Amino acid sequence: MRYSEITIRFCGIAGDGVVSSGKIFAGACAKIGLHVMVNDIYSAEIRGLGKSSSTIRFSTSKLNSMGDGIDLLVGMAAKESIVDLHDIKQEGSVMYDTSTPGSVVEEDSLVAHITPEIHGYGIPIKQLANEASGTNQGKNLVAIGAICYFYSLPPDMFIEQIKAIFARKGERIVETNITAFRLGYDYFKEHYPLNNQFEISKGLKPKTLISGNEAIAQGAIDCGLKFFAGYPITPATKIMEIAAKELPKLEGWTLQMEDEIAAISAVLGAWFAGKRAMTATAGPGLSLMSEMINMSVMAEIPAIIVNVQRGGPSTGLPTKVEQGDLNIALYGGSGDSPRVVMAPCDSEECYNGIQLAFDIAEKYQTPVIFLSDLFLGQRIETVAIEPNIDRERCTRKRPTPEQLKNYLRYQITDDGVSPLIVPGESGAIYSITGLEHSVTGNPNYESDVHSMMTAKRFRKFESMVADLPQADIIGDEKAVIGLAGWGSTIGSILEGMEIARKRGVTSKLIKSIMIHPQREDLFQEFFASCKKIIVPEMNYQGQYADLLKSRYGIRPIEVHIPSVNPVSPLKIAQKIMEANDELSQ
Amino acid sequence: MTEKNHFHSSGERAWCPGCGDFGILSSVENALMNLGKRPHEVLIVSGIGQAAKLPHYINTNGFDGLHGRALPAAFGAKAANHRLQVLVTSGDGDIYGEGGNHFIHAIRRNIDITLIVHNNQIYGLTKGQASPTSDLGMVTKTQPNGVSTIPFNSLAIAITLDAVFVARSFSREMEFTTQLIEEGVRTPGFSLIEILQPCVSFNTVNTYKWYSERVYKLDSPYDPADKLQAYKKSGEWGEKIPIGVLYKKPRRTFLDNQFKPKDLPLFQRKTVMKEIISLTNELFE
Ligand SMILES: Cc1ncc(C[n+]2csc(CCOP(=O)(O)OP(=O)(O)O)c2C)c(N)n1
Repeated sequence: MRYSEITIRFCGIAGDGVVSSGKIFAGACAKIGLHVMVNDIYSAEIRGLGKSSSTIRFSTSKLNSMGDGIDLLVGMAAKESIVDLHDIKQEGSVMYDTSTPGSVVEEDSLVAHITPEIHGYGIPIKQLANEASGTNQGKNLVAIGAICYFYSLPPDMFIEQIKAIFARKGERIVETNITAFRLGYDYFKEHYPLNNQFEISKGLKPKTLISGNEAIAQGAIDCGLKFFAGYPITPATKIMEIAAKELPKLEGWTLQMEDEIAAISAVLGAWFAGKRAMTATAGPGLSLMSEMINMSVMAEIPAIIVNVQRGGPSTGLPTKVEQGDLNIALYGGSGDSPRVVMAPCDSEECYNGIQLAFDIAEKYQTPVIFLSDLFLGQRIETVAIEPNIDRERCTRKRPTPEQLKNYLRYQITDDGVSPLIVPGESGAIYSITGLEHSVTGNPNYESDVHSMMTAKRFRKFESMVADLPQADIIGDEKAVIGLAGWGSTIGSILEGMEIARKRGVTSKLIKSIMIHPQREDLFQEFFASCKKIIVPEMNYQGQYADLLKSRYGIRPIEVHIPSVNPVSPLKIAQKIMEANDELSQ
Repeated sequence: MTEKNHFHSSGERAWCPGCGDFGILSSVENALMNLGKRPHEVLIVSGIGQAAKLPHYINTNGFDGLHGRALPAAFGAKAANHRLQVLVTSGDGDIYGEGGNHFIHAIRRNIDITLIVHNNQIYGLTKGQASPTSDLGMVTKTQPNGVSTIPFNSLAIAITLDAVFVARSFSREMEFTTQLIEEGVRTPGFSLIEILQPCVSFNTVNTYKWYSERVYKLDSPYDPADKLQAYKKSGEWGEKIPIGVLYKKPRRTFLDNQFKPKDLPLFQRKTVMKEIISLTNELFE
């Protein structure tokens, strides 16, 4: 078999080195210059407890999703790997450990469950690891060596990767690991004929691996983030960890506050005093922040709130993905409370999108809720990010000297944006409040004032449209089946569209990082050109579909996937095929 | 005070005639004036309540935030621009009730903020419910059988957590209050000045008379550096109520741990970033 794209899953329990296998493998593939995407799944919040798996998909072309199914399952722990056999594609393979005598015949062994369509490959993983290290250490490298041979990948790159990773731990560890890798490689070479060939083209350049969380942190830092206040919560903590490590090097700060309310309050305080600030959280934390986000709306103080969505309401499913927080992001404020909501679809958009978020927040004096999700946040992927540094762009509207003489913090303007000074500057002072207020910032409950100020706050959103990126339309422009999606589901949609195209049905997708406000003209035009509209998303209610329905008056086919796993591209393809069938009836 | 106080702002104040808040406002104005501050250099942050209206009645920058959330917002502002003189003025319900968690952690963090709590032992703005500092037995519409929860001893807690400056005053004692605020502002780190403040509309127990009969000024040989003694003093309530500096002990402030006072404020520092950090190898840390 010749491959240009492969998915491998390491599956095991604590001590099997499952997650590091995935990373070593992914690292080597990125070094080779392949496109890689890695998704780790833990059964518990704490790593090292229970079962875990690391799935690596690598390809010669850009990857949009984790795809459907796996080509090779590496069963590091026999019993825990049994259920994963179902995910093996047709003609796929499983690698199992033959070290323990009898293990292959026992009833609950992996082998006993291998069906005839699956190719099984035995290898004494534990034994070879012991040969190399004298302990079970290095099991993962034995497996990696075997896989390297199995798909005829270049072993040099793997050895280089092993050296790079383990250098810090000393020469001996490096040597043992290389030996383990070689033993696995040689064992397969001796025992199995070379049937597979992964096609690697010439001239590939090493790629950068980054997760969505990392891309958000880095993007924010590169555009002037100097103050991060947060409170730990899965799956957003990584962002705070990076900020904590990187900001002090740039004379900025990361503070772990006493709770999320304190975190968002400090973020508002910092923006008020003139500095780009951010917090990152997940559902429970976002719920706590609601009131202060509304203060940001009312007092027109910018704020960046990254929300890495996890599953369910309440504490929900901390380690599973879902796109269930769109409604709270859009509507989670009392009163008429306009806020910007953005949703990146991959790591590149995390990086560039968060920079756009800062610019919008600063220029329009508004909170921006940046909705990532657990899958996007934690998965690692190769990216082509052009570092966008030197972006200390002050997009603030400043008062003219004339305006400063009689400074009005909430001066009414055509675009709704009032000139803003930093408190502490000489020349003017001002007060802000979460109470309704007049142009001066003094509390005022008069009906006229409230109407005028509400209109001002909403007018900013109309002005903002001029600064918004175009919505992307991807696929066959002439197609009459249109899809709309958001966040990390976009990847699965793109892949589903490709599957359907290969089966003879073309479609197109409209996507935008902007959920609110949106380039409504472009969406209108797109929907008008579709006979069938499909809106897939990872939640039960169809939160994005609801927004589109009320905004554009469409009646889409809604695909609600209350999910704990990323959306299957095949499922999307199936929906496209069904829509096509209905059209041709 | 004969010279015009540039912190004084004209305009209406939505406080009941005779409210203790008027005295506190004057004391704040006078203290800032005596300290030689200029209006644009000062930021007053508050929460929500009668007391929390103060930023609107004084000529400085103001951040009148949310109920209970003054302290973390003040922290963010001070961190972003440490050259601002940041004061927080709010009620007992706001700081100790809704914002109790922030109160505790603000003391621990020890950033240079002066917290002035207007303690009227009642929720004034919402028209007279018990507050965390209401005395046992106080009857209100929401505590018809009398308060049965023991009062929150904020000073004892602040002392326990080593707040650098812990003082109590009485709003009628304006000169004294002014001096305490000045001393609190001058003390680096987080200072707490709780001011007993009669609520003429909703607290019929703890009146001007009630407080006047009880308060006495701490004098030598009382030594505010003695933590145990301070702690003991903080428990004195009822027949006699001590006012003055209960506890004072310097300690490294948040900013001492971060940068030198001459450094540029955070908000003026530029972004310098070399290149995208390749995280590939960091994954294994
Ligand atoms: C989240 C929230 N809950 C409740 C309120 C209503 N509220 C406003 S002020 C206040 C209590 C004020 O008491 P205190 O802080 O002692 O100040 P005072 O009015 O007595 O000066 C309450 C309960 C609110 N504004 N926000």
